[in-house]
Amino acid sequence: MAKKDKKNKRPFQLSEKQLGYTMIAPSIILILLVVIWPIMLSGWNSLFDYRLNDPTRSERIMSESLNMETYADNRYLIEQSVTELSDLEPEAAEDLEAAEATMNEYHEALMEDEAMQEQYNEVNNRLENFEPISSGLLIASLDGDWGSEFDQALSTHIDTIRSYQENLGEEEAVEFGYMASQLEGLQGSVLDSNFVGAENYAQYLTNARTWTAMGNTVVFTVASVGFELILGLSVAILINRAFKGRGLVRTAVLVPWAIPTAVAAMMWSYLYDGQSGIVAHYMAQLGLISDPGVLLTTAGGSMFSIILADVWKTTPYMALLLLAGLQTIPRSLYEAAEVDGANRWQQFVSVTLPLLKPAILVALLFRTLDAFRVFDLIYVLTGGGPANATESISVYAYKALFEQQNFGAGSALSVIVFVSVAIISVIFVKMIGSDLFAERTKR
Amino acid sequence: MEKKAGIGFYIFLVLFIFLVMFPFLWVFLTSVKPPNEIFGNFNWFTPNMNFDSYVSAITTRPLFQYMLNSFVVSGATTILSLAFASFTAYAVTRLPIKGKGLILGLVLASSMFPQIAILSPIFNFVTDAGLRNSYLGLIIPYITISLPLAIWILATFFQKIPIELEESAKLDGATPFQTFRKIILPLAAPGVFTTGILVFIAAWNEYLFALAINTDDSWRTIPVGISFYQSEYTVPWGDITAATVIVTIPIVILVLIFQRRIVAGLTSGSVKE
Amino acid sequence: MKVLPVAMAGVLVFLGGCSSVAQNIGGGEEEVTITYARGTDTTPATDAMLAAFEEQNPNINVEVREMPPDSGAAHNQYVTLMSSGSPEIDIFASDVVWPAEFGQAGYVLPLDRLIERDNVDLDAHFPATIESGSLNGRQYALPSYTDAGILYYRTDIVEEPPETWDELGTMALDLQGEGGTSFGFATQASQYEGLVTTSMEYISAYGGQVINENQEVVVNSPEAIAGIEKMVEMMQSDYVPNNILNFQEIETENAFLEGNTVFARNWPYMLSTSTDPEISQVPDNVGITALPSGPEGNASSLGGWSTMINKSSEHIEESWELVKFLSSEEGQKIGALEGARAPTIESLYEDEEVTAANELFADPVFQETLDNAVARPVTGIYPEVSDIMQIELSSAAAGTITAEEAAANMERKMKAAFAE
Repeated sequence: MAKKDKKNKRPFQLSEKQLGYTMIAPSIILILLVVIWPIMLSGWNSLFDYRLNDPTRSERIMSESLNMETYADNRYLIEQSVTELSDLEPEAAEDLEAAEATMNEYHEALMEDEAMQEQYNEVNNRLENFEPISSGLLIASLDGDWGSEFDQALSTHIDTIRSYQENLGEEEAVEFGYMASQLEGLQGSVLDSNFVGAENYAQYLTNARTWTAMGNTVVFTVASVGFELILGLSVAILINRAFKGRGLVRTAVLVPWAIPTAVAAMMWSYLYDGQSGIVAHYMAQLGLISDPGVLLTTAGGSMFSIILADVWKTTPYMALLLLAGLQTIPRSLYEAAEVDGANRWQQFVSVTLPLLKPAILVALLFRTLDAFRVFDLIYVLTGGGPANATESISVYAYKALFEQQNFGAGSALSVIVFVSVAIISVIFVKMIGSDLFAERTKR
Repeated sequence: MEKKAGIGFYIFLVLFIFLVMFPFLWVFLTSVKPPNEIFGNFNWFTPNMNFDSYVSAITTRPLFQYMLNSFVVSGATTILSLAFASFTAYAVTRLPIKGKGLILGLVLASSMFPQIAILSPIFNFVTDAGLRNSYLGLIIPYITISLPLAIWILATFFQKIPIELEESAKLDGATPFQTFRKIILPLAAPGVFTTGILVFIAAWNEYLFALAINTDDSWRTIPVGISFYQSEYTVPWGDITAATVIVTIPIVILVLIFQRRIVAGLTSGSVKE
Repeated sequence: MKVLPVAMAGVLVFLGGCSSVAQNIGGGEEEVTITYARGTDTTPATDAMLAAFEEQNPNINVEVREMPPDSGAAHNQYVTLMSSGSPEIDIFASDVVWPAEFGQAGYVLPLDRLIERDNVDLDAHFPATIESGSLNGRQYALPSYTDAGILYYRTDIVEEPPETWDELGTMALDLQGEGGTSFGFATQASQYEGLVTTSMEYISAYGGQVINENQEVVVNSPEAIAGIEKMVEMMQSDYVPNNILNFQEIETENAFLEGNTVFARNWPYMLSTSTDPEISQVPDNVGITALPSGPEGNASSLGGWSTMINKSSEHIEESWELVKFLSSEEGQKIGALEGARAPTIESLYEDEEVTAANELFADPVFQETLDNAVARPVTGIYPEVSDIMQIELSSAAAGTITAEEAAANMERKMKAAFAE
């Protein structure tokens, strides 16, 4: 602190501005590095047909390129196969060698480029030593017609080799099949651009599943945030009162929120269970549901279950935010209202609500952002079922990203979430008013 | 507001708390049942009450290690995040810098993207930085994720503090940083503590990043750790409910201590409009 | 058989390289620590197997890295890890449906050359367990144990277990309510991977297939539709719990252990829990038999786990030793004795210690079940195929679409997925 004080002894008109930028720097740097950069990367990914589980599309390629790893690996495999198959089936030797010759001819043409040769040798070396191929080495971009000509030249050989399969014994046929698939692998090392522009968006925006998921997400968001607001506001006003034991009450209402979502979701699946779930059991006894089994097995029941679990868990969060907001309302205003003869309700409407508006809007904004991106709760509780009736758009994106490893599609879906949320946020921010955004507070 | 609470109020209160706490209460009741009584009946109390599940919960997995990890990670996240966020919020609300709207918008935008979609890049980032299986590997993403909420709440709080107080401090010769530290922060204490509790619990609750980034059992946090009690086809509800109860207790104590602060600051009368 | 290419040459170079860095002057091999990832193991089997392995390979230390117990969560964690090219884990336990996908993605090492070099006899294993580990003629995984669905029934209620799915239905309807039960049959029908597993059993029993050997989508056939129809009929019947659409293994187990159901389809693991008087209400009344047949015989879906090597591993050779050990007779025997895991090696079912350790392993019904087990579709895009099946079958089981519609939808969506 002493050091800071010293520094601040300088004329502060100048340092005020500098101090301002210094003070925002840590947050902004972190946010840019850890969140904004990945978001931009995702946006970029969404423009590609980018799938980790498909070697021909597991990189983002702008122009025709060569996957050095599969190229080098298959070249090696083919050389070995040709020798071995020629011994096995001498009649085929000529055709096999022709295939090899074609491969080598194109290889020599390719190696005329010195940089290409260097890269190839490095990759080959690493393959032999079981060293990982870094992504910088993996891809080489191709010029001219080499790629398409190579592709065509190999096709004829593949047909020839496949034609042997029909007249051979089973074991030999399998071996020739492997040789053909090695040639196909070599063909597959020539990568076409997988840049698809807005195609992922076109596809997923016209996909019925996206809209079902969007509908589920909106229903979930509106219902859960709505209930949370009403309940949260009531709770906040309640625990803002002076009464004996309010510390305990405040703590108690916060407990649901302190239980991790992953654990809470498991807990609720136990409470909702059709055979031994206590919540399902009581709801059925009270006649709220026709049967304990319907909670997680019908579309309406499972959506209701998810919303109830979320409201239970997140209302404390809302209440806490609103309670903090209530603290900023000066007591004197209530006193003044009381002098004017306003009753409780009138005080609430004329004092609390207007002054709490910014806090309510900020709380609503952040709850909506969270609710719209809901993931864990649904994933653990229903997995999106039954029959996708509870699949939220984040759950859908997660399935595309991590289950199907389709990063193009998953990123596009994520960007769709982002845009939807951004629109909602703009509306909220407009309502919060411009004071937070004012360039300079009144002096 | 100052009226004394009547008996009706307390009855309502007890009922309300009971409803809120019921799921947790049931978890507790389950945790003291023997395993074969957990299913198949709706009895509240078991005649064979015992604490075997608790013994099992702390012996089958390093639950206390998980708790320590969660405390360190959430605690550090809270402190750093509050520091960074209050700096930013102060600069944005009180200092003459340009592009405030842009800064607040950028901050907000960073919490609009589904977290699942930035998991891979963040995982790669943490891996490249050599921070896998460490506290810092979780703290850095957590701070970043919690910053938007923290900055926004604090900004609305700082906004409420009358500018006159600051100006009189300035006349007394205080530097802007001193003003921030001595005037603004104490006045905004309820906001700071509210934000602190929110950030702490958010970090305490986080699952996806913790699962992916800290794969070594000795670095796992509570939500991930508890999910490891089950095995492929079995869920030992006794252990899980017992573990849930154990890990909730410290949080309850923590909130009990800090909830006072949420309402202490502005109501103490230092602010007059 | 197959050529011995790069990898082989690489292994030699690798070993050479290894000794040059070796610090051990005695000429012995350098001590290497490899990381073996697997889900939580509540049995002592993993520890026992690794202890035996380390004893045989004093230069190799194995460190276990626990992965999420849930197979889906573990899958996603492996995807995150391996797509980043991290060498953090060397070898890992793979669910039976992963090898094709991980192999195609290039995350795991093809084992063919190593198999050939060390003369590993793949024919000793049940064929389906080997097939599930390969794609396009390349072997990516070796099995370490297997699993196949069986039918549990209450011996105090059922005199003669049913032979066919039709009989099961009739008996379940007749017998439900007896012996304190509330329903006749419980199985897995929630929208998750288990629904694909169980549906394959109906489809196969009625002679259908989803994807054939030539990677063609053949799910829209009268046989497959008949299988789906049977399944839907049972899910819509009055003798299953009315929340059957939320049933996974755990719910099934609870229903059977609580004495609530006459029949249950589940994995072999439930035999030990259901006969344990500590947790089961019906410990003395548990019977097991093969799953019922359809017109084309009976079939159990294959479960179980195999082992694969991370391609980015820095200790390929040592990892391979562990893969071999875990699928060897010796390793599998330890698994069978210590963890009640069903061996994939046929001859182990003649081993007296093995058959004495677990009544299931001595049961000819179980061996037959394993022999007839069907793999779920083997394809590089399995997760997509599974997702499509889960959605359509869940809708059919819920009665919102017919079996024909489900089959047609699956065909259309799968064809589109393959064409992409």
